[in-house]
Amino acid sequence: MIDWLFSPLIDFGFMRRALVAGLALSLVAPPLGVFLTLRGMSLVGDAMAHAVLPGVAVGFLLAGFSLPAMSFGGLIAGLLVAGLAGSVSRLTGHREDSAIASFYLISLAAGVMLISMRGSSVDLTHVLFGSILAVDSTALWLIVSVSSLTLIVLAAIFRILVVECLDPLFLRGQGIRGGAVHGLFLGLMVLNLTAGFQTLGTLMAVGLMMLPATAARFWSKRLEGLMGLAIAIGMISSVGGLLLSYHAGLPSGPCIILLAGVIYLFSALFGRYHSVFARWRRRVQPMLPPDAHG
Amino acid sequence: MDEPNTLLTLESLSLAQGNRMVLEGIEGHFEAGTITALVGANGAGKSTLVQGIMGELRPISGRVDCRVPNARRAWLPQQLALDLTFPMSVEELVMSGCWPTHGSFKRYGQAEYRRGQAVMQRLGLQAFEHRPLGELSGGQRQRALLGRTLMQEAQLLLLDEPFANVDAATVEVLIEVLQDMAAKGAAIIIVLHDHDQMTRLADRILHLERGHGTWSTPARSGDSPPPAETLA
Repeated sequence: MIDWLFSPLIDFGFMRRALVAGLALSLVAPPLGVFLTLRGMSLVGDAMAHAVLPGVAVGFLLAGFSLPAMSFGGLIAGLLVAGLAGSVSRLTGHREDSAIASFYLISLAAGVMLISMRGSSVDLTHVLFGSILAVDSTALWLIVSVSSLTLIVLAAIFRILVVECLDPLFLRGQGIRGGAVHGLFLGLMVLNLTAGFQTLGTLMAVGLMMLPATAARFWSKRLEGLMGLAIAIGMISSVGGLLLSYHAGLPSGPCIILLAGVIYLFSALFGRYHSVFARWRRRVQPMLPPDAHG
Repeated sequence: MDEPNTLLTLESLSLAQGNRMVLEGIEGHFEAGTITALVGANGAGKSTLVQGIMGELRPISGRVDCRVPNARRAWLPQQLALDLTFPMSVEELVMSGCWPTHGSFKRYGQAEYRRGQAVMQRLGLQAFEHRPLGELSGGQRQRALLGRTLMQEAQLLLLDEPFANVDAATVEVLIEVLQDMAAKGAAIIIVLHDHDQMTRLADRILHLERGHGTWSTPARSGDSPPPAETLA
């Protein structure tokens, strides 16, 4: 039974590649998501996932279904939207999230238009929802490189990110420009979204970033705990989702993200902190008579 | 006028927020070992002056001459300005005061952890060292924030209403620690509202009103106050 369940991950090359890709992404995307939630930027990830689309489309138009070209295009588009939104918010004094919301919509519309001009709807589905069959060894190298790079950069700016989340003025007083760190962080996020779109699709890639992070918040109050749990949830979702996708003949991206979504729902209901159950328990306790505690 | 232990000098400093002139012709010397109270009504330009001193705002005219390097300058914002739900423990916050010497990469050594312990002990935080900031009271948070500046060995310390939302016991601890820092040679500038705290703590007062600054000395019962000087 266990053998039947897990053997596809070993027997088939495309499943092996998808597994490695999923685990590599799960190692770095959830920690980024933890920082996004802590910085109050949960929806920015979603907006950026849409923003990469025109770049992916241009890559597709120029080089066909070539993953490096599409990823590179996506990266450029994502960084462009992040940069433009940042500049507009600095120049006009508007909040950055409204600028990002505006630019991602422009970008998304441009992307859909570009794909519909040249490709078929099948291509659009591939780009939007991903396909594990698309992970060839080139794509795998790309994903693993992105994960490694993200891990190194994240380790390098970790302390800055933590201190800056709490008190941006402290670092500015020390001569560290918060804007540069923020930009680097957005860059990492875009990089991971473009790496994730091959297995998960542009719209789903952000799910592996956010859902493990938001689920982890119901179980831990410590940063290390949040990161570790988010990574674990990401990996469980990736492995489980791939197997579900294989055995039930369903698309991989939605399987992985839905599994993460189930874990999120379970955590929201029964998690240790702030979950529905935890709140219910806390509200009931004072109602007990004093001698009920023994 | 320029004494050797002057850490910060303001020379006919004028500052603006956007198009609005907020402060004009502020003069002042801040010596090592003195505590200056910065007072004035809401909107009188206290935060603007602090921003100017920290280099956040460029002067319209005049200048800020600060002899304290960035690493030893500390700015303690009001608690409300901080996101204290961030999952960080008291110890981690205090240890982040090692930034000037350790930056983003360097591992904290035994010596730093011992110093951190001593700082937390000094502030009465040893029982809370692993407690997340989100679970602390206002007073405990303020102690932890001051702990960071102690760790940083700040020589120029600016505080924005450090005694707001803080219990009486904490106020005593904070005053003691601040006086101790001043005695060890730091220049401290505190935005204050409370008159009693001002007379207890401050050596000098910079009063901001309608864009101009007036220097005075708090009247203290008991000892004979030095003569007040008016510079602007």
